[in-house]
Amino acid sequence: MSLAAGPGRGRVADGQLPDDLKLVVDKHVAYIKSLDTRRDELEYHLTEHLRVSGIYWGLTALHLLGQPDALPRAGVLDFVFSCLHENGGFGAAPGHDPHMLYTVSAVQILAMLNGFEELETKVPDGKMKIAKFISKLQQPDGTFAGDEWGETDTRFLYGAFNALSLLGLMPYQRPNDAPLIDVSAGTAHVKACQNFDGGFGLSPGAESHSGQVFTCLGILAIAGELDSHLGEEGKDRLGAWLSERQLESGGLNGRPEKLVDACYSWWVGSSMTMINRLHWLDQPRLTKFILECQDPDEGGIADRPGDMVDVFHTVFGIAGLSLMGYDGLLEVDPA
Amino acid sequence: MASGHGIPRVSGAIHDHSQEAQDKVRKQIDQYQTVERDVVQRIRTNDFSNDTLQLTSVLLKQNPEYYTVWNHRRRIFLDVFEKEVSSKGAVLDSGPSPTDQKDAEAAEKAGLTVSQREIQLIVNEDLMFLLPLLKQFPKCYWIWNHRAWLLATVSKHLPVSNALEQWQNELGLVAKMLALDSRNFHGWGYRREVVTNLETLSGQSMAEQEFAYATKMIQANLSNFSAWHARSQLIPRLLSERNASSADRKKLFDEEFDLITRALYTDPYDQSLWFYHQYLMSTLDSSNKNSPEILKPCTNAERIEYLEQELDSVMEMLDGAEDCKYIYQALLEYTSRYLEIGSGKTKVTTIEMNEWLNALRKIDPLREGRWKDLEQKMNL
Ligand SMILES: [Zn+2]
Repeated sequence: MSLAAGPGRGRVADGQLPDDLKLVVDKHVAYIKSLDTRRDELEYHLTEHLRVSGIYWGLTALHLLGQPDALPRAGVLDFVFSCLHENGGFGAAPGHDPHMLYTVSAVQILAMLNGFEELETKVPDGKMKIAKFISKLQQPDGTFAGDEWGETDTRFLYGAFNALSLLGLMPYQRPNDAPLIDVSAGTAHVKACQNFDGGFGLSPGAESHSGQVFTCLGILAIAGELDSHLGEEGKDRLGAWLSERQLESGGLNGRPEKLVDACYSWWVGSSMTMINRLHWLDQPRLTKFILECQDPDEGGIADRPGDMVDVFHTVFGIAGLSLMGYDGLLEVDPA
Repeated sequence: MASGHGIPRVSGAIHDHSQEAQDKVRKQIDQYQTVERDVVQRIRTNDFSNDTLQLTSVLLKQNPEYYTVWNHRRRIFLDVFEKEVSSKGAVLDSGPSPTDQKDAEAAEKAGLTVSQREIQLIVNEDLMFLLPLLKQFPKCYWIWNHRAWLLATVSKHLPVSNALEQWQNELGLVAKMLALDSRNFHGWGYRREVVTNLETLSGQSMAEQEFAYATKMIQANLSNFSAWHARSQLIPRLLSERNASSADRKKLFDEEFDLITRALYTDPYDQSLWFYHQYLMSTLDSSNKNSPEILKPCTNAERIEYLEQELDSVMEMLDGAEDCKYIYQALLEYTSRYLEIGSGKTKVTTIEMNEWLNALRKIDPLREGRWKDLEQKMNL
């Protein structure tokens, strides 16, 4: 699964009218399948530090496109297991150090492919081993470090909650056992990252950013505290901030006065879905924008029309379309 | 799905399909993989030598997103630091030499032990190594991450005065980075981190100094959203550290309104200015649990007074800017709060509110769903 950009660019095919734009499903499937055959490019090797996440993005896109078997299941699982370390963490590729980000991607892949049984066969008590790698990264203030080197980030907190819930090992999923993590310390930190404008920042005091809004809402949703924390007033305030992310092109940006980007269709769109405010976006316009970012000939979606396509923007563009109920796509889970 | 960009914006595709071009790429891949394999092998056998360090430099210059190699680099340093602290001498240098005496003298002059000075030299050298990388890849998380680690090492091993100096230099660097890109997320985040470390080391607040910095950044560019945000974060701290009386608080509040109103009259279309106006107004909103405190106490009478004052001021902004959506948004938002707490006050009529909402719908049809909900919420 190459993470290099290109070869195509997002654009509207010659002579095509805006109303005729359609998602080129088969071409996106072919594009994603082709990504693993690009080992003759330097960038394939320069992006190895993202490999397992790249596979997760590619697989998710294929699932949403209704082609879950387009990548060989056994091959994917073998690769994922080859990234697993003794301590229960996964690296981005064999030989890469274990890190929260890639552990989460690996768990997401195992969940999507129903691979937990194979995991247990390969590594006895494998699920618990992974969960312990994650739980050991929690800090006294509730945050999670990405790895042994200690940097914390709300992305890692979301990843921890997400992976543990997929493993079925969140405290609420096993009420009779000692909890592996302190959920309320985590959500307390998230609440401290919220700003007066309703948005969330990377850390307490940081300006609101749609990516962080997504991770923080995801954490609160998994912990079951989203509705009680925000209330209708809070949802209105955050919804207003999120809806301002849509610009004239129909696309969304990550924070005020920044460029639109197809991947924010997902970060913003799913956040708005979680707070029941998706109808505050102009969905036909957003759909049109995403379709203008696709390469109509060779497949793949770019961040903006005219830029080179890549797997990251392909999956989040498609996920954005799925949120809006685009015809023929599978429904995506917003958190 | 975890967030994160970090995907190279360059094409991996080979546009030139000639044998020559393909051979060239093949050679580049071979070279890269040879160095990569070499580093992995050396780390596996605990070869934490200067040669290994140089090889990580080669890889990171080509690929600063390669987080495992940053970890290897730190493993090499940790090994050296450990040997330094247990005073077995540095392994990065080659054996005993006549410079030992000179090192000892230099360390004494700097008020450091030989091993502390050695750690400082290593850290400084690595900070220098990062500089061109930061310039080339200002958004690469792992470079900032490594920088913070180096500085934390200084705090851990060096006397407070040296650590302070080091972090102070770092503040200068962030200022330079933010001068180049005043909205760099990592830059502002890193600045907060640097300030926190300086405050912890010195035991002294830097709120006043940081407030002055935010002011300077705003003066340089009024539509610097990040600087307004930084200012908004500093004010509550500033007031409490100044032990401000309620009169002092009111004075500052009024001055901030003056500042932002003047700016808004110049450019009501600037979103970042409205952000700050909303911030000031949010301090009057007791239903917002994330609103900071400026006036203390803040009575209902004061809330009504300020809401009326600002409604008047914003209404005046409409003159000549009838197509500015932010004005209508502000009017509707502030009016709804005004009506909530100022029951019985009839400063704003339903007719006016309907006019504002209709104008908004016309100017900003993208958010029609929101305006429809607002209409219902405000019983219009
Ligand atoms: Zn993007």
